[in-house]
Amino acid sequence: MAEDLVLDTAIRDWVLVPLSVVMVLIGILRYFVSKLMRSTQLPDAKVVKEGQVIIRARNLRAAAGFIPAKAFRARRIYFTNEENGLLHVPKEQAQNAQAQMFSDPNMAMDMMKKNLSMIIPQTLTFAWVNFFFSGFVAAKIPFPLTQRFRGMLQNGIDLSTVDVSYVSSRSWYFLNLFGLRGLFSLILGEENAVDDTQKMMQMGGFGFDASRSLAAEKDSLDIIQHEWTLPKMEQRAEEVLRKLVK
Amino acid sequence: MAANEDSRSSDRKSADDSDDLPIFNAENLQSNMKSIYYSRTFLSIIGGVVAGIWGFTGLTGFVFYFLIMAVASLGLAAKAKFSVHTYFDSWNRILVDGVLGGLMSFVLFWTFAYDIVHIF
Repeated sequence: MAEDLVLDTAIRDWVLVPLSVVMVLIGILRYFVSKLMRSTQLPDAKVVKEGQVIIRARNLRAAAGFIPAKAFRARRIYFTNEENGLLHVPKEQAQNAQAQMFSDPNMAMDMMKKNLSMIIPQTLTFAWVNFFFSGFVAAKIPFPLTQRFRGMLQNGIDLSTVDVSYVSSRSWYFLNLFGLRGLFSLILGEENAVDDTQKMMQMGGFGFDASRSLAAEKDSLDIIQHEWTLPKMEQRAEEVLRKLVK
Repeated sequence: MAANEDSRSSDRKSADDSDDLPIFNAENLQSNMKSIYYSRTFLSIIGGVVAGIWGFTGLTGFVFYFLIMAVASLGLAAKAKFSVHTYFDSWNRILVDGVLGGLMSFVLFWTFAYDIVHIF
């Protein structure tokens, strides 16, 4: 590193530190705002019922080893039989549910709010960074990188002579955006950790969630091999008791 | 190093050591994994700050990160009293899970501390 840039300490005090602090504070603010805006709508009875059925089927699957084969078979039929099993969803009903989900205005409103609370602060912060801090060389990453990274790290300064490891303020913003996720999950609890990315994914597949997961649960219940654990338990209990008696 | 590990991870699960069929309480397993995730994130942030203040550059810093993660794995295993199957369904949960997840946080805090201390 022969041609080290000398960066003004004022850049540290007025660009680097404030930018990071603001990013953290905005993240916290966004968390509380989205918490406030979250509307608590009454859950639909049918949706709740389906969810409970899925949980019951899952429990049955997980604890299949603890009941005799006959009991397990009876329960499985209760869940998966083709006429009136709990997990059986008629075809036309499945499509209905999807359509209904999309026509529900409350749902759409909720999605919109979540989306907005995510996008607006990001746009605003980006605009703010662009306006105040454009063109600063704000930081230097402590490891060398290849020329390919120039576009990523020196977004906003067009100098081909500067070493690639110097980071422009706008790119520092992006680094913060991705790197602070861990910090947020520490200070705000687990809810926030899943917030951004996973909510997006959920939104995509939300509508046909219920019937599809019913069908999936039905399939996995159908293919399960039953194996009763309790005979082995008796031997184990015998061992333990004998040890106690001794 | 595992001092921040949650006390929840001492929730015992009924696991058979002798049996072939694993019996796990999914919620407890989840909570144990969550505390591992927290301790790893915490350590990667702290490790990043430490690496920055000590002025590591280049490969040294990444070596330091993986060293920290190895120590964390060791600490977690020690916290589980080396009977990992009582708390987790496989060794991977302790040794591998989330090692790369903290890298972004590590790099960010490493850069931040390094810049503040050494560059300006």
